[in-house]
Amino acid sequence: MQSKSIYKIPDGKLLKISLIYDKKNRTIDKISIMGDFFAYPEESIELLENELINTKLDEDSLFNKINTIIKKNNIEFIGLNPKGLTTAIMMCLK
Amino acid sequence: MTEKWRLLLTGANTAARNMAIDRAVLVSNSNGKVPPTVRFYSWKPFAISIGYFQSLEEEVDLGICKDLGIDYVRRITGGGAVFHEDELTYSIVIPESHKEISKNIMESYGHICGAIIKGLKNIGIKSEYKPINDIITSGKKISGNAQTRKMKTVLQHGTILKDVNVDKMFSVLRVPNEKIKDKLISDVKDRVTSVKHVLNKDVTFNQISNAMKKGFEEEFNIKLVKGKLTREEEELSLKFDKECFSAKNWNHKR
Repeated sequence: MQSKSIYKIPDGKLLKISLIYDKKNRTIDKISIMGDFFAYPEESIELLENELINTKLDEDSLFNKINTIIKKNNIEFIGLNPKGLTTAIMMCLK
Repeated sequence: MTEKWRLLLTGANTAARNMAIDRAVLVSNSNGKVPPTVRFYSWKPFAISIGYFQSLEEEVDLGICKDLGIDYVRRITGGGAVFHEDELTYSIVIPESHKEISKNIMESYGHICGAIIKGLKNIGIKSEYKPINDIITSGKKISGNAQTRKMKTVLQHGTILKDVNVDKMFSVLRVPNEKIKDKLISDVKDRVTSVKHVLNKDVTFNQISNAMKKGFEEEFNIKLVKGKLTREEEELSLKFDKECFSAKNWNHKR
């Protein structure tokens, strides 16, 4: 399944998600995280996109996985946060 | 003793060349070959730049760009799509370890934007920094800014709008929902302003550039000395222009 979402992070930037997912297992096959936010280092978004493949599409799993990746790789977001990112990804299922 | 930084006035260039010069200066400064550098420049042909995380096809109508002869490029900095027409663009490149640069990214945005705010004051415009990355005057945006940190070096670039044509801007920028395009255009007209609009007169690029030079000198307590790109920076910028910023696989990466 293919889906997209657009979500304005409260007090942040506009986030656009493009998602391909396995409908039966509710897992991520491919994800693009786009928008006018800032992330340091920039390449960390590609790393995040790769690490999210096969992640279960439920709010807790996503939020925890995103947080773990951020901490492990010292990623700093501006205008974006794990909660907003989780919300935008989950919106793709609606 | 007052610290001396380099000032580059590179005039108007293509989008790819402009982004290639910023990146070449970043690499050169990172290797300790040049002092902190401030550059003022413009765009010929006019251009759209998109943020690192944006998708070119989602943000820009490339067909209309082609028809109107408008250039496009993806930046190495995050942030949003910008239509570069009648404006002064600045960039600053400085080591992350410099005493004027805070480890806190938002604080360093504020400090660098302080130079632009002082520059605007020098031409008679009172403005303030509005996080995350805007400078506003009477509640309206007059400058947008974007920062990256690579190779232990900070690059921040941004625009100071001399004049703005929102209708033209939206003819090339795509909006998520065409039905609300008119509303969006009127919202942006309400939210964005320019030097010309605020002062109700034309101010030249050179006048703004002189005011901004002083603004940087005042904010950082330094002296800006006019310089040139080094031969190595010239070579690097040609390489980045060709291999990165003019390349389809860079501009269409996302």
